[in-house]
Amino acid sequence: MATKFPINVTQAIVSPVGPRQPVSPGRPVRQAILSRAKRERGATAVQMLVILVPVAFGLIGFAVDLGMLYSAKSELQAAANAMALAAAQRLIGTDAATGAATLASQSTIETGTGFGNRYNFNANPVGQTTGSLTSVAPEPSFYAAVADARGGDNSTTVGGSAARHVTVSLTGEASLLFWSFLPLATERKTTIAARAVAGISAPLCTACGIEPYAIAAPDATDPVNFGFVPNIKYSFTYLCSGNPIPPLLAPGVQRVDYLLLNRLDPNALIFTDESSQVYRDLAGGLPGSTITTQACFTMNNPELVWANATPGACNALRVQPLVTAGLCGLDSRFESTTSASCTGIAEVDTLATIYPPDPDVLDYDIYTDYTGTGRRIITIPIVDVLTATNTMTVLGFRQFLISPTLGGTNISTNDTFGRFVAMYVGSVAPVRQGRFNGCQQAAGPGKVVLHQ
Amino acid sequence: MLVEAVLFIPIVLALLIGTVELAKLTYTYHSLQKVMYSLARYVGTQQGVNFCDENDPMLVAAKNFALTGQTDTAENPSVAGLTPGMFQIRIERVDPATQQLSICDCSAIGCDASQGGLPPDFIVVSLTNGYTVRPVFLGFSVDPFPLRPSVRVPYGGT
Repeated sequence: MATKFPINVTQAIVSPVGPRQPVSPGRPVRQAILSRAKRERGATAVQMLVILVPVAFGLIGFAVDLGMLYSAKSELQAAANAMALAAAQRLIGTDAATGAATLASQSTIETGTGFGNRYNFNANPVGQTTGSLTSVAPEPSFYAAVADARGGDNSTTVGGSAARHVTVSLTGEASLLFWSFLPLATERKTTIAARAVAGISAPLCTACGIEPYAIAAPDATDPVNFGFVPNIKYSFTYLCSGNPIPPLLAPGVQRVDYLLLNRLDPNALIFTDESSQVYRDLAGGLPGSTITTQACFTMNNPELVWANATPGACNALRVQPLVTAGLCGLDSRFESTTSASCTGIAEVDTLATIYPPDPDVLDYDIYTDYTGTGRRIITIPIVDVLTATNTMTVLGFRQFLISPTLGGTNISTNDTFGRFVAMYVGSVAPVRQGRFNGCQQAAGPGKVVLHQ
Repeated sequence: MLVEAVLFIPIVLALLIGTVELAKLTYTYHSLQKVMYSLARYVGTQQGVNFCDENDPMLVAAKNFALTGQTDTAENPSVAGLTPGMFQIRIERVDPATQQLSICDCSAIGCDASQGGLPPDFIVVSLTNGYTVRPVFLGFSVDPFPLRPSVRVPYGGT
């Protein structure tokens, strides 16, 4: 049913274009409109096409533009996250660490292989100019505290050994396909940005992929260093009883006894011999496994000595073969050749090819001078009392830099007391994996985490 | 009026359908990119993954998780038609001397965990042949083309 409008309403429905047609009172509105429409047939279509289509096209399309920008932003964020994570993994507390971290972060966006992270439908490389679109990937910024990293204040950046967290900020231009159809548009592109913060986490309660050596804390009440002194070289000596007390191994200046903790894997599918297993554990840390008790150590958990590596008398001719196998594993961090004393290890030739040596095998008096990849850093459990006859309780984890035997570029695997030298470095490097199980500790190694 | 409508409606329809198709493409690509990133980060934070074995339980779980949010099924993926077999995971290692990335082969000195190989330094997740889309524009089908999202992340950390 057609609506009858009052006359004042009918008069209001007029076009600004063309002369007004007199409308007699009471004349049906519909008729008036139809009459006018007939007269102006075609004009509206042109108006609509000229005015409405670009505007509608621009507005509808801008929604698509926003979607594309959101997608590009997501890709740029993924690239920033990868850069920050890669950089954080290289923060090992040395002067050279930030340089290595910068290189690692840039590896994620390299274009040589064709697999680097890109944005804009995976079309534009990050940090480069493609056509009219420019992306900028500045070098990461490094911070000592996570709060500073989150804040991103340039005045709080640190370099080298103090760096614990990293911030990556990326920008990239993206095209606006539809926005430019709108009359108010002045740019055919816009800049999107992404920022990521990664770093080393709080101390872990469960540390995975670490080395199964145990040492006793000289001072269990010291929450930071357990009584160890940073940059002091300790002569690690396999626990033994009686006399003579093994002498210090140079360049070590203090003796610390150690034991091999039990991580025998009876279900191992490869390198089943326990000498091979010990070699692997000390050459690269405990191999990754879904079984936490096999691949990790947890604070406050009881641990036992490796059954076939029980300590003997100090006046015995030499330590047990498994202890030597551990030294051979450590030595793989210095050289790829196998020492004569290591040839008894099952499949040692294969094992020796798996673990690459550290590029830096020099002896240092200050840890921050070390320029290697971190291969020489070991993370080991600190226990309450070192004993082969009872359980030991893990108090925490600390890190040491293995030093070459004085004057050399490797360690002596045939040492009769199972000795090697390592410098205490604290909790500088991230461990491979770990968990926070609610334990409370003031210091200790963390793992790499993405803060934001 | 009718002539105007005949002239105008197809244009408006073309605009609407065209933008919807473009939006659909964007949404599909964004979803795929999220799937790639989820898979890369999930698998990059696991220990003991054997990248050289397609049937490695952790790899299978990671692919399922990226597809469906659950580790035990690949049914009803977030992107229709995406299957675990379409994923390509490239494992890479950095040469410490040159800092160049190269593919880590499946051997003992490479990244084959079943032979004792060490984990890779980086992983790249992409789709082997891309994800083929066929936009339809007013009844006309555009030639199918693949969307190729790709994500590289470092292995390790959380």
